Amino acid sequence: MRNNQGNSIGVSTLDSVPAKKLAAKKLRLFAKPYLYLLPTLLLLWIWMYYPLFSTFSLAFQKWGMVPGTVPSPVGFENFVRLLTSKDFGISILNTVFYTVGIIPFSIIIPLILAVATHNMQGKMKNVYRAMFFIPLILAPVSDGAIWRWMFHPTNGLVNNLLLDLGIIQTNIAFFSDPLFAKWLILFITGWKMMGFGTILFSAALTGISKDYYEAISLDGASRFQQFKDLTLPLLSPMILLILMMSLLFSSQWTFAYIDMLTRGGPFGTSTNIYYEMYKYGFANMDVGLSAAAALMFFVVFGIIAFVFNLFSKKYAFYDN
Amino acid sequence: MKHKRFTFVTVSQHFMMIMFSLLAIFPLYWMIISSFKNESEIFTSSLIPMDPTFQNYIYAFQEMPILRMMLNSFVVAILLTVLQLVTSILTSYALVRWQVKGATIIYTILSLSWLIPMQVIMIPNYVLINQLGLNETLIGIVIPLSVSTFAILSLYQSFRSFPQGLIESARLDGEKDFYILVKIILPNMKSTVASLGILLFISGWNEYLWPMLITTEMENSPIQIGLRSFVNSDVNMWGSLMAATTISCLPILLIYFLLRKHIIESFVRYGIK
Repeated sequence: MRNNQGNSIGVSTLDSVPAKKLAAKKLRLFAKPYLYLLPTLLLLWIWMYYPLFSTFSLAFQKWGMVPGTVPSPVGFENFVRLLTSKDFGISILNTVFYTVGIIPFSIIIPLILAVATHNMQGKMKNVYRAMFFIPLILAPVSDGAIWRWMFHPTNGLVNNLLLDLGIIQTNIAFFSDPLFAKWLILFITGWKMMGFGTILFSAALTGISKDYYEAISLDGASRFQQFKDLTLPLLSPMILLILMMSLLFSSQWTFAYIDMLTRGGPFGTSTNIYYEMYKYGFANMDVGLSAAAALMFFVVFGIIAFVFNLFSKKYAFYDN
Repeated sequence: MKHKRFTFVTVSQHFMMIMFSLLAIFPLYWMIISSFKNESEIFTSSLIPMDPTFQNYIYAFQEMPILRMMLNSFVVAILLTVLQLVTSILTSYALVRWQVKGATIIYTILSLSWLIPMQVIMIPNYVLINQLGLNETLIGIVIPLSVSTFAILSLYQSFRSFPQGLIESARLDGEKDFYILVKIILPNMKSTVASLGILLFISGWNEYLWPMLITTEMENSPIQIGLRSFVNSDVNMWGSLMAATTISCLPILLIYFLLRKHIIESFVRYGIK
């Protein structure tokens, strides 16, 4: 690569240029790309990888984050405490609950919305899509505040309506009721994410040539068959992409709502793994426990991501 | 016959879309009208404020340093956008312009860090920010988030599709590498960089966990964190809380109405984390 450069050929033919200067130039050429990479790599090291390794080592220590104290080694004690605690078990089950539960909102409903709007003529198509999209760009805190108000235990809109309609006789404290809390968190997260899949699927649909549909409908394929035999396979890379994002990030998407609406309660029934890490660390000041949970889940999520990567390489059909 | 079936499908489709659209925007509508309802009306289900009032907004501004927090949010979001754009532009350029030794390793480092959630690294980062004395500062919020691997990975894809011939010919003309980036590549990728910038601004504005750990005083917080503490303070002032929430949403909604096409396009191009 360097040899292609006109000046380096010139330099090598000139004997008068001192070898030292040449070496310096070579070094400069070699180092240059790394100078561009330096800010990113440095910042990533300081704020991501070094702390990641710190977390891993804190998982084997005990510390309360009190200034002036130092962590003390405790071996595998944190992991034992973690695996024998009831809350942690619930949080794992809930993490799975949220991860699986988000799929209708991130894939199935968006697929329906995208296909339905795709066939529409005129302006309304874009108006609908624009509306589905609004919850996604608003801050989780704002969304959380609004939903908390709508489901307010005594004066909220939902309680008022249900009372007026005679469906319930007394107010429901939705977010402190184990029956409702985690389903509402899931619903609100899903409500927010609905527009994401819709927009991506809509874009993917626009990319599919109309000729395919004409050809297949000449063969007498019904609308459903067209969807099943043509649309779905052509959307498969997008479905896999969104599925992967849902699996990897749903726990982060629910985090803010858990914090805003239930704080993991009642009795830990709506918490997830990331919220437990936050609580262990910043509410209970139990750094070791938080770090142990982090380490375990980083490994599990890493494996999921890896397997998924292999899977999508094998099965997805890419046009470009 | 065929035409009739088509009409039925169309009508039912529109019906379904209207229901979903209502579901999507009704909470927002409820927020706005609640913010204009007076004390006697706030706890009713009426869909329009019968006697609209600005009282809630006045209370909200008295209870919270809203302007200060909005300013904090702007500073945080803009700094994050700029820093994340600079780091991702430099990185993507280096990876496209040169055949860097260890490029695979660097790409792996970037991809892996995309998967590291803040919750996993928050404690060491929190400790470090404290040691540096940067807690309760906007810099403390911004610095650890100043590299977005999501932005790098997305921008790298776009940079790779930039015509190599242009870079090549500029190089043969003896142009400096930095000049090539600033005068040749960036002007041609203005819209790509801008749409990524919008996305980064929105996500910076909406940032949650990290600012919440770093700032506790409202004066030092972005608006989101101020709202959170107001909600959690359990005062029953829902009218003014909705007023404050409305204000906090305004910049994003405004940007959305002005740049809707670009925003949607950039989500399509880049996805989300």
